[in-house]
Amino acid sequence: MPSESVIRTWGLTKHFGSVRALEDLDLAVERGEVFGYLGPNGAGKTTTIRLLLDFIRPTSGRAELLGGSGADPRVRARVGYLPADLHVDRRYTTTDLLDFYGRLRGGHDPRWVATLLERFDLDPTRPVGELSTGNRRKVGIVQAVAHRPELLLLDEPSSGLDPLLQHQFQLLIRELVGEGATVFLSSHVLPEVEVLAQRVAILRAGRLVTVAGVQELRRQARQRIDLHLAGPADPAAFLGVPGVVEVHAGDGTLQLVVEGSADQVIKAAARLEVVRVVTHEADLEDVFLRYYQGEPA
Amino acid sequence: MIVAARLLRDRRRSTLWWTGGLLGLVAFTVAFYPSIRGQASFDQLVADLPEGFRAMIGYQGGVPLTSPPGYLHARLFATLAPVVVLVFGIGAGAQAIGGGEDAGTLEPLLANPVTRTRVATERYLAVVGLLLLLVAALAVALVVLGPPFGVLDGVALNGLLGACAGVFGIALLHTSLAFAVGAATGRRGPAVAVATTVAVAGYLVQSLLTLTDAMAPLRAVTPWHWYLDHNMLAEGPSAAAIILPVLVSLPLFLAGVAVFRRRDLH
Repeated sequence: MPSESVIRTWGLTKHFGSVRALEDLDLAVERGEVFGYLGPNGAGKTTTIRLLLDFIRPTSGRAELLGGSGADPRVRARVGYLPADLHVDRRYTTTDLLDFYGRLRGGHDPRWVATLLERFDLDPTRPVGELSTGNRRKVGIVQAVAHRPELLLLDEPSSGLDPLLQHQFQLLIRELVGEGATVFLSSHVLPEVEVLAQRVAILRAGRLVTVAGVQELRRQARQRIDLHLAGPADPAAFLGVPGVVEVHAGDGTLQLVVEGSADQVIKAAARLEVVRVVTHEADLEDVFLRYYQGEPA
Repeated sequence: MIVAARLLRDRRRSTLWWTGGLLGLVAFTVAFYPSIRGQASFDQLVADLPEGFRAMIGYQGGVPLTSPPGYLHARLFATLAPVVVLVFGIGAGAQAIGGGEDAGTLEPLLANPVTRTRVATERYLAVVGLLLLLVAALAVALVVLGPPFGVLDGVALNGLLGACAGVFGIALLHTSLAFAVGAATGRRGPAVAVATTVAVAGYLVQSLLTLTDAMAPLRAVTPWHWYLDHNMLAEGPSAAAIILPVLVSLPLFLAGVAVFRRRDLH
């Protein structure tokens, strides 16, 4: 089956006066994937989503959602949007809001809505203005998925959610993706995206820095390997071994920081009497930070 | 009309309060009439006032202030009734798009399958509906509360309806202006400010510039002049007071929507 882009942008650019919020963005998000959109605050993530939904108009370039324009109600009918901060009339209860949006969308499935409210443990009768930040976040999630959209645009979805609810949210996203939905997941923190996304784009100061698979990023990531040795720990054994960027020795242990493949390190270690190997989870955050800071990886 | 229905529901409580206030104002005004009726000296007193001052208190040449049309015009239709409806309308008109955008509620709404044109049009129509409701309450209150105090003696029904339509007209015009500025800027503040300034300036031009003043022709372009030029309670409906505001409101509405469609949301 040929791949089909659900989100496409061509040279999408947005300036606010002298502020270059987004510069020449070319992006293609394929059907059925969870696409992470990463960048520090102010990198242009929200600007991108607002351009996609036609809330703001590009300075140049163009964008397509589900093969059409985000301004088209027929397209919006198939899209769910979770804003970074959901603003609704403070007097509305969750029921009011879901009822209103549901009518505009030709009716929600009441059983699905009831399930969502239960899963996120939301009291639908309380005015939104009285809810805590976390609970308002939940209202945002529920209204974004209540119509089972084909495409979800999520802006910082799990900020303000406790770990239990983050887990609940991840289950929900996986479920929707399992049914064929595509998810565009914007975030400024990696762990939120890492657990769900297959591919991530990294954005810095309005420019796309890279698009890469999470696996690929992981391969680039530095890993830490601790070798517990029977004999004396001599750092010289690993100096000059390809991939090794740091060696610390101490108390019969060599602590190595390795970039890229660990193959040569293992081969070098084979000559020593290794009692125990401890590896630490690949530090994706580190790769990510290097992109943020603009250092070529 | 789902968006319009939601706005009507959102404003039902505040509309109820405004209607209650207007009813109280009518009740208070009509109940006071018997104490003025037949006081010829009062008319004499007013006749001696300078023309500008007479205009300000809603006095119309040839209609005695102590007669029902003169009294109702001066106490209600030339002063408080249009002001109350107008303030309500400006607030609601400015809120429709400008206020919603200020509060950030417009974006989540527009993420639904609705066009900007639809949202703006439905919200405008809902506000116009609220104005109609308030003016209808004014008319009904007068018809019900007026007769026991004799305040409708000699006032024809079409005159009363004409005067109420005039109140609606002048409020509609300023409401549409507030809506248009709100839709064009996405801000409530400028919408209220512009509409209020136009209303106050128009009122001052109409009431302070006397017929002999060199600037008097300016009066012809103020909505207050269209509305106050005739005592419709005594003389019957005036076409200018009813048709001209509608003719001005329509392009204001269209211009507001046109800008709203093109610009970035805040």
